[in-house]
Amino acid sequence: MPPSRFPIPQGTLDMLILQILSLEPLHGYAIAQRIELISKHAVQVNQGSLYPALHRLELKRWLQAEWRPSDTGREAKFYALTKAGKKQLALEKQSWERLSGAVRLIFEGGE
Amino acid sequence: MRRLLNLLNPRRQRLERDLDRELRDHLERRVADLRQAGLSEDDARRQAAIELGGVEQVQEDVRETWIWRWLEDALRDVRYAARSLRRSPAFTATAVLSLAIGIGASAALFSLVDQVLFRLLPVRDPEHLVLIDWKGNSLSDNRGTYNLMSYPICRDLQQQDRLFEGVLCRSALTVDLAAAAGERADPVRAEIVSGTYFPVLGVSAAQGRLLDAGDDGEPGAHPVVVLSHAYWLQALGGAPDVVGRRVLVNNFPMTVIGVASARFRGIDVGEVPALWIPAAMKRQATPGWDQLLERRAAWMQVLGRLRPGLTAAEAQAGLQPWFKSMLDEDTRREGFPRVSAEQRAQFLASTLVVTPAGHGHSPLRRRIDQPLQVLMAGTLLLLLLASLNVASLFLARGAARGREIRTRLALGASRRRILSLMLADSLWIALLGGSLGLVVAPLVSRGLLSFLPTEAGLALSSRVDARVFAFAFVVSVMTGVLCGLAPAWRAARVPLADWLRERTGATGGVRLRKVLVVGQLAFALVLLVGAGLFVQTLTRLVAQGPGFPTSGIVSFDLNPLRAGYAPADASRAIRSALAEVRALPAVESVSVGGLNLLSGGSWNNPMTIEGDRRFVTDRLVHMGAVSPGFFRTLGTAVIAGRDFDERDVQPPGDGSGARVAVVNQAFARRYFGSASPLGRRIGSGDRPDVKTDIEIVGVVRDFSYRNLREQSEQAFFPFGGDSPAGMFYVRVRGTPAAALASIRKAVGRVDPILPLLSVRTLDEAVDRSLTTERMLATLSGGFGIVALLLSVVGLYGVMAFVVTSQTQEIGVRMALGATRGAAVWLVIADAVAMIAAGTAIALPCLWAVRRLVEAQLFGVHAIDGPTIAGASLLLALVALAAAMLPAWRAASISPTEALRFE
Repeated sequence: MPPSRFPIPQGTLDMLILQILSLEPLHGYAIAQRIELISKHAVQVNQGSLYPALHRLELKRWLQAEWRPSDTGREAKFYALTKAGKKQLALEKQSWERLSGAVRLIFEGGE
Repeated sequence: MRRLLNLLNPRRQRLERDLDRELRDHLERRVADLRQAGLSEDDARRQAAIELGGVEQVQEDVRETWIWRWLEDALRDVRYAARSLRRSPAFTATAVLSLAIGIGASAALFSLVDQVLFRLLPVRDPEHLVLIDWKGNSLSDNRGTYNLMSYPICRDLQQQDRLFEGVLCRSALTVDLAAAAGERADPVRAEIVSGTYFPVLGVSAAQGRLLDAGDDGEPGAHPVVVLSHAYWLQALGGAPDVVGRRVLVNNFPMTVIGVASARFRGIDVGEVPALWIPAAMKRQATPGWDQLLERRAAWMQVLGRLRPGLTAAEAQAGLQPWFKSMLDEDTRREGFPRVSAEQRAQFLASTLVVTPAGHGHSPLRRRIDQPLQVLMAGTLLLLLLASLNVASLFLARGAARGREIRTRLALGASRRRILSLMLADSLWIALLGGSLGLVVAPLVSRGLLSFLPTEAGLALSSRVDARVFAFAFVVSVMTGVLCGLAPAWRAARVPLADWLRERTGATGGVRLRKVLVVGQLAFALVLLVGAGLFVQTLTRLVAQGPGFPTSGIVSFDLNPLRAGYAPADASRAIRSALAEVRALPAVESVSVGGLNLLSGGSWNNPMTIEGDRRFVTDRLVHMGAVSPGFFRTLGTAVIAGRDFDERDVQPPGDGSGARVAVVNQAFARRYFGSASPLGRRIGSGDRPDVKTDIEIVGVVRDFSYRNLREQSEQAFFPFGGDSPAGMFYVRVRGTPAAALASIRKAVGRVDPILPLLSVRTLDEAVDRSLTTERMLATLSGGFGIVALLLSVVGLYGVMAFVVTSQTQEIGVRMALGATRGAAVWLVIADAVAMIAAGTAIALPCLWAVRRLVEAQLFGVHAIDGPTIAGASLLLALVALAAAMLPAWRAASISPTEALRFE
């Protein structure tokens, strides 16, 4: 029986962040909340690895960040997808689909 | 980690603040949510922190991503640069070679300058060593001109232990050294030193022990020596049983007590002594001259080690009270010379000067310090010129890469990234150039060393050591940044929109490149003028010559005292040798004297002249004792009065003969004007008790004494038959080599163990006295040629580029009826403007550096119209010739083809 909550598999956090931000710009905490919420709490974001990932993506210029007031009124650092980030997301989605498709094929073929 | 980041990224503070704020914001939000879920404030905070995994840890992780990113970028730039350089080998080769020339030459010069001028002595705390020197009239005989005092004063100074940890004195000389009784004696460099020498310097022994105060007591009672490591290895093969051996110093047996450490190469830079002899043994080391305890004899250099915390100035101030009372005491001492009131006042007004001496002392340095500085300045100019050349090449390359840079910018690359990409390019070139330069440097150094006297050549090294390596590295990186700066600056300066508008990349940079070429032309002109001046100096000195025909004259030194002769036997040996040599068929004439022509040294003193009134010469008179026939042997002429003859040579033991002198024309002119000096009386020295009992009997034509440059007043005296040593001058028939063989045999008939010292032909002596001038002329000539080539290549490059990029425009103009001449003029006008601008910049530069070179020149001034005009003309002609190539190409552009271009 699978555990109730998955830790995020190695390497997929970047892709999930890009995906979440393709909907709208968000600050770090909200990104973690959003991932858990959308996955119906099936995946759990390790908050400690969230920020290094965000900064890495920012340095790669897939994200850009700016400080602006959030809904609570306090300033927060909002991340948004850049053009290059969108391209990257498309690429990653494509390769993920191919990988999961392949995995499914193998599972089905094995039955 | 943090520090590394700080260093690498100037924007880091902002990044850090940002991160901190972001993480705090995260925690606040989490705490708020958790409290809403019903946790207490404290529990919520603890929970939030646990979930985040510790703020510190997260910060550290984020920082790591920054560093990785930076390293990846840098590495990628370096790899990319290497690839793109490999793709354009012609560009890479030109740029690397330009820099290799510049860096190689300057590293070689640095290596010598470093060894001669900068390096501290290899002793304990060299920065605490000071030179103590007498300033004022010390009333001493002139035994050498530089910072010399007497041994008793050195002993007095050793009592000043309030100021000095220790005081040493030393004197460099040549002795005949035989490694064992019965073996051949060879002249070697030695130092006579006080017992404090090694302890004060803090030198350690490689074998046995070194001299100490106990070896420097009763005169004559300490027949011991310390050998240098180099001599021990070379002459004794590093024999392990060397301690306790007997060696013969001037045929006097002395015992080796130890060998100094290999690192210690003496105090005189460029001269490694073979052995050290205690001052107490001075009489044995300098036979015929023992003034060890004479307070007025100035022959030793005095060095002190300052007490910690004292400066040289403080020590100097602290010495004066004692020194004043010592001077006063000296005047009342028995044996104080009779002097005029003026001289006495000068003596009492003397002071001691204390100066830092951590770099050691060096006759070599005194001689080549300025020439080396001139050459160093020249190489730096050359290096700058090479850098400009490379910068210009990079600009051209940057323009050619315009399309690539545009694409990168359009794809969102930041300016910083483009900048670092370009710097990676130029750093590669510079490091390659620097490495090649380091391969070239030892060759250049060896070439330089071959210009120096042999002894110095042996003591200095052409090896690339850590300091030279560091110098070359720093210079490479600096030139790399400098070369890369111009194109990078341009890349960063041009607005993005202009970049994107295609045309900028093609025409841009030309103006900047023209400025660089102007700079190159200016530097090249400065170097060419320098070359012109130094070449003229050398040719003028050679053309002038020493004032007598040198070919066919050989000279050598005989010093029987150093072979252990008693003075009477020694003078007899000199007379016999003279007779034996005179009888040889290969010898036309021979003469012996106490002067060493063209060696840089001289015996000089003020003289007292009894003319219409008694007066003292205002300059030092260079003196020499010569045997009859000396002037005839040299081939110069006595133009008034007579030469010495046998009557003038006093018989041994009889001091009552008539005293006579022959003076040179310069002496006659300066002190007697148009009157005849014949029959006038002179005396040696400037004290009131000097007897003017020497009659001038002849005037001889001027010839060079110390070196070719100096015009000096000279006075010659008969070389007495009782002289125990002498320098022989022989005019030979046939080749000097063949004649020398028979001369050696002839001297051997007097005594087979008597060595001929300092054997040389006077042609060689002239050559050697011109080493510095020849070094300057050759090197500056080389620099001039390289500079000319580099700058002309620069000019050609720009103009060729201009013609290529304006092909269309020129084509259109020609289609509209412009002549070929107009097309040529388009290019030539540019070139002329650049040459004119370069010349205009060079002239004030020449004015600025005139003082640096003036002292090295002869017969020509630093600002010399014909030289400057000639150099400018040469530069202009060569530059215009280089510009003609692209001009010709511009003229042959056919309008139809040009319009099809691109």
